[in-house]
Amino acid sequence: MKIGRTQVEYVAALANLEVDEDEKDELAEQLSRIVEFVERLNELDTDDVEPTSQVAALGPEISREDRIEPRTGSSEAAREVGLFKVPRVITER
Amino acid sequence: MNLGNTTAHELAAMYRNHETTVTQVIEAAFDGIEDRDADIGAFLHTRRADALAEAGRTDASFARSEEMPPLTGIPVAIKDNMNLRGMRTTCGSKILEDYVPTFTSTAVERLLRAGAIVLGKTNMDEFAMGSSTENSAFHPTRNPHSRDRVPGGSSGGSAASVAAGMAVLALGSDTGGSIRQPAAFSGVVGMKPTYGRVSRYGLVAFASSLDQIGPFSKTVRESAELLETISGFDPLDSTSAKMDRPDWVASLDKPIEGLRVGVPREYFVDGVDRQVQSKVEAGVARLEELGCRIEDVSLPHTSYAVATYYLIATAEASSNLARYDGVRYGYRASGGPSLRDMYRQTRKDGFGKEVKRRILLGTYALSAGYYDAYYLKAQKVRTLILDDFRKAFGQVDVIVTPTTPTTAFKLDEKVDDPLSMYLSDIFTITCNLAGLPGISVPCGTSSEGLPVGMQLIGNHFREDTILSAAHQFEMAGGFKS
Repeated sequence: MKIGRTQVEYVAALANLEVDEDEKDELAEQLSRIVEFVERLNELDTDDVEPTSQVAALGPEISREDRIEPRTGSSEAAREVGLFKVPRVITER
Repeated sequence: MNLGNTTAHELAAMYRNHETTVTQVIEAAFDGIEDRDADIGAFLHTRRADALAEAGRTDASFARSEEMPPLTGIPVAIKDNMNLRGMRTTCGSKILEDYVPTFTSTAVERLLRAGAIVLGKTNMDEFAMGSSTENSAFHPTRNPHSRDRVPGGSSGGSAASVAAGMAVLALGSDTGGSIRQPAAFSGVVGMKPTYGRVSRYGLVAFASSLDQIGPFSKTVRESAELLETISGFDPLDSTSAKMDRPDWVASLDKPIEGLRVGVPREYFVDGVDRQVQSKVEAGVARLEELGCRIEDVSLPHTSYAVATYYLIATAEASSNLARYDGVRYGYRASGGPSLRDMYRQTRKDGFGKEVKRRILLGTYALSAGYYDAYYLKAQKVRTLILDDFRKAFGQVDVIVTPTTPTTAFKLDEKVDDPLSMYLSDIFTITCNLAGLPGISVPCGTSSEGLPVGMQLIGNHFREDTILSAAHQFEMAGGFKS
């Protein structure tokens, strides 16, 4: 699959990324090469293969009692006003 | 004193015999960084005052008792994607340049509790995306063996800090080879444990199903010691394994006679440098002399691993990195008529080229109409790769491969060719996809004097097997062959 400028713009918008005009062609070319490379996976028949999303040894023990425990950090982040403090997002103009 | 070739075990003995003090060693470590790091660029920031204060307290403790954990007073460097409360975590990125975490990662917390002294945070490819440490937003790191070459990446700063004798031990993270590949390029030991062995709490997420923290050191024994210190169940990481932590140091000398060692023919192919191949073959021959039984194994889906990895890792990264939007963390671009403009401008200014490329690729692989063709397809091939290893480990105990197809490449050589950079991880990526432990150990140098690395891969949670094989290989002189 060849990726063109329009697709770069579309995907960049999905990803909340601004891309400079003069970068679009280079990105389209690089992404096309990478996508062409990953398409070699189509050589494999995977119709009857289950996907693997993770490889952790997850047993029933990963769930714990639903109990509030003190967490390092959060109390400090909330030190000043009892809430998480972040920079102001909406400002006056 | 020069920390040059001093191991953690030698230092531990010297402290207990009162031949030196922790303060002297930590001062020497910072003098070394001052002398040599201008050329190498392994560190992003250091903590001299805090480290010396901790050293003073540790010396006072040594005066009262010799019964201290083995890593007490050992100088350690930390990759700058692991949080240490109150010290910046930049992740090699402009977007986190001023981010100061309010909590410490579990791995670093365990290190501190064991008495180790953190010297500072090391350079890395931005968000751990890269194989050369050239993608750092701050400066590249140079290979201590040859200054015009890369140390590997993404944990290149950690690898170089140990290789240059500035730190005795270091922590790195490995998503597709980011510990083992720089260990090979820099001539040190580097290990990625089984997925779930070390908590990822407080490690900046790149690809959550692949990321794992692990040790760098000059000897296998030190890596075993460091791994013992940082591993174990952590309720703060839901993927952390509730497994007993074996005494890896005690099992280093367990006989390896009769150990079945598999050599996958798919890893000795065209494209592997001839010198790398012959050094690794010599390494395999040495394992045979030590009594291992060498067998051919087949991992038929190896050639699909890089493609699988770059779809899964970028998809997970595009999701993980969505949080950097100028609202909660670090850098924020000013201006723009709307909030969305602010997000976009922040991410444009804050992320480097490679990170943007991977976010775009990952977003593409997850986008409507392409999810099945790319992301789901890659997850299915991941199953096939896992099955290859299941079959191989039915036959053998350890798999031996070159860590990398070539020795360290030159700075700027691959920086504009992402695909060729990706292919330098071809032999390390499979371990991450399958969640297996892998260790890279030195196995000699090329005619240009560049280190060659040999990788030993073990079955899930069998770090003991690869550590003892690697240790006995080292004891038999294998590192210098």
